[in-house]
Amino acid sequence: MEKILVISETKDNKIKNPTLELLSYAKSIGIDTNAVLIGDKVNCQADLLAGYGAKTVYVADDPSLGLYSTSVYTKIIQDVVSQSGTSQIWFTASELGGDLAPRIAARLDVGAITDITKLTVEGQKITAHHPAMASKVIQECSFTEDGVRVLSIRPGFFDISAQMAATPKIVELSIPEKDLRAMVREIVADSSEGVDLTEAKIIVSVGRGAKDTSGVELVRPLADLLKAGYGATRGACDAGWMPHDTQVGQTGKKVAPTLYIALGISGAIQHLAGMTGSKLILAVNKDPEAPIFNVADYGIVGDLFKVVPVLMEEFTKMKSGKQ
Amino acid sequence: MNIFVMIKQAVDVELNIRVKDGALIEEGLNYVISGWDEIAVEAALQIIELIGEGTITLVTIGPDRSVDILRRGLAMGADKAIHVLDDGFEGSDSFAYAKTFAKIMDKQHYDIILGGRQAQDTDAGLTMSMLAEFLDLPQVTNLSKIVSVGKDKFMVHRRGDHGNEVIELSLPAVLTVNDSLFEPRLSSLRGMMMAKKKPLETVNLKDIGVEPGMVGREGSKIVVSKLLQPEVRQAGRLFEGNEEETTKQALELLVNEDLGEENLFS
Repeated sequence: MEKILVISETKDNKIKNPTLELLSYAKSIGIDTNAVLIGDKVNCQADLLAGYGAKTVYVADDPSLGLYSTSVYTKIIQDVVSQSGTSQIWFTASELGGDLAPRIAARLDVGAITDITKLTVEGQKITAHHPAMASKVIQECSFTEDGVRVLSIRPGFFDISAQMAATPKIVELSIPEKDLRAMVREIVADSSEGVDLTEAKIIVSVGRGAKDTSGVELVRPLADLLKAGYGATRGACDAGWMPHDTQVGQTGKKVAPTLYIALGISGAIQHLAGMTGSKLILAVNKDPEAPIFNVADYGIVGDLFKVVPVLMEEFTKMKSGKQ
Repeated sequence: MNIFVMIKQAVDVELNIRVKDGALIEEGLNYVISGWDEIAVEAALQIIELIGEGTITLVTIGPDRSVDILRRGLAMGADKAIHVLDDGFEGSDSFAYAKTFAKIMDKQHYDIILGGRQAQDTDAGLTMSMLAEFLDLPQVTNLSKIVSVGKDKFMVHRRGDHGNEVIELSLPAVLTVNDSLFEPRLSSLRGMMMAKKKPLETVNLKDIGVEPGMVGREGSKIVVSKLLQPEVRQAGRLFEGNEEETTKQALELLVNEDLGEENLFS
């Protein structure tokens, strides 16, 4: 019998939406699912995981787990896999998942498929779509062996189902020793506040067209107004205008919101690879030949410094119901 | 300081890539050093410059043409190269790459093993972490900054999901680089001339002790059954002219789209 283990992710001790997407999808295909919850003061989140379908929640809650450690997290997951009879490990395709999935797969002597955008599970057979070559092709992948299979799934591709009232069975895990060979000392700023990009229904992003931080600050109220995540291109991040954790693209966050508003973004493949899964794309750029217009549903040729104030005004009207 | 950089030749993703009958159309493809691996070579050079001594060895697995990327890395300033050339490797997945790299590294003295955070053809990001596990080494993936270097201790930044993780790292270790870390240097004419004289060793799987069943389709855990062309987004409507008018026009249409999401704007 198949049994899924979902690796939960938290931010500020709250479960992130992509984790709930994984649980919801696992539930919809009718496979027994457990979850593992790792962190400092996170055990209060176990009920929520149960509410979305986790039967047993394996909890490793300890002050030493507040900062990520590849080695310690791998040991914890390995422990859970062996005591739970897990046959599939589901990660979010995040930086955490990207770091851990191959490590745990190698530890278990099995393979992994990462950054999945479509998943079919029929009995023991798993078929997955994995975008490759800067998302210019899709690889249809499967596993060559039975046993534990490791997957990481891109956020935004599964819907979150309704939460049920449920109380999980909780298993407290033993906490491994720290790995002194690689210690995270702290997480330094260069991090954004506001709506998490992988959770946002709307994302407003800026590129080089923002010119400098004045453009970035011009756009911020629009993101706030729309309760949108505020993203950026690699160019805008490397220029120091936006924090690096707001980078959308092949090596940044891969997102699939309902609406993506691209402001002053030319549309380099690096960026497109991270956002073309969006339902609807609105793009603003001065250059009518910009590649972003090839993927945008609505393209406005113009200066973002002129367009953003109009967007602000119109959305404000809409919000106040005057339209 | 002994640094090894695992590099891969991959399809140039800046060019058009087309699929027919589940496979790539070879015509028009160009092969280059995978972008992140080129940055990894640059990182190795900068680490050696900071420490003041050391050797950089490049390792690649691939067909004859892979020599080009070894020459490129040597021209940038790496000292020597190992080329694993063997038809038996055909069809290998990341797991088999990692096993093969591990076999090579078993016989080497190393302090740092560097590579890109993913190869630009597979975009999988598996090989280096698997290699770290097989060698029982600590890993830092997605390296975004090198703060300080020492003989056996490094301070680095890893770009995590919620900011930069400041990591104190003991060597030996496996590191993978993010694209914001460094801009790879160009090769000078002199570098290219010198590259031709640097040691480049070609080995086959048997030479490095890899059994036939460990690699190829047989040794792989993942199989790519076919390639698909992604659904191409159709370019939508383009509005040109006075921004105030075009923005209002575009918005009016946009907000009336059925997005399956109620109250998106309220």
